[in-house]
Amino acid sequence: MPSIEGKDIKSVVVACEAGMGSSVLLTTQLAKQLKPHGVAVTHSPVNRLNDDTADVVLCHQGLVSRARQAAPNSVVIPFQMFMGDPAFAKVTAAITNGGTLDG
Amino acid sequence: MAEVTDLLVADAVRLGCTAADRFDAVRQAGEALVRIGAVEPAYADAMQEREQSLSSFVGEGFAIPHGTDAARALVRRGALAFLQFPEGVDWDGQDVRACVAIAASADEHVSVMSTLAQVLLDPDQAEELRTTTDPERVLELLAPAPEQDDETQQPQETL
Repeated sequence: MPSIEGKDIKSVVVACEAGMGSSVLLTTQLAKQLKPHGVAVTHSPVNRLNDDTADVVLCHQGLVSRARQAAPNSVVIPFQMFMGDPAFAKVTAAITNGGTLDG
Repeated sequence: MAEVTDLLVADAVRLGCTAADRFDAVRQAGEALVRIGAVEPAYADAMQEREQSLSSFVGEGFAIPHGTDAARALVRRGALAFLQFPEGVDWDGQDVRACVAIAASADEHVSVMSTLAQVLLDPDQAEELRTTTDPERVLELLAPAPEQDDETQQPQETL
């Protein structure tokens, strides 16, 4: 399973089924937190992911296996809630304070 | 507020709706988008398909039904619809009071979604958006904030 150091994360993609709804909602929130740290946050439909899409992929629990299949070398972090899921805090903390993300 | 009037028009704001279940609510949301000429009728079917694969509940009593990636081709112009359900809709175990339905061919709706994210993070504004009886207030609450171009992103795919 791939892993990455927080300081090496330069791009995060939020993936969802259509890349139109929830991923957009999350992207706008995360971008505000991560942009000051030089991390680009984008969104994508899960089917259009590949290993070059981003260092870290955030996606809903139900899409994790598809995301891992599409981007086997990216760290894939699942979340369950669209607001306030601990996954977002985990990624933000690794980027701002350092630490390793596995997924 | 030119931006929001383009994407969310008063005709697409429907307050006081009732729905039997979440699929009924999504059907009404699809109808609202069809009625304003934003999407082909088949887009509403794609919204059902998307809802079946994963709930579009996002928290704070809101759901954001939308089509699938493939259904972008059925979008005539990017638009949103707002439907309020004062009695609530059982949304796969969650209580939903309002839907923001999305029709997007690219990323034309990102600024409004950013505003929606802000509203959802503010309990007072979320409550107001769930319960207001003034359609004009809905348009105001979802108007993209001016001068926040730090939120404009480089979407990696826009097709």
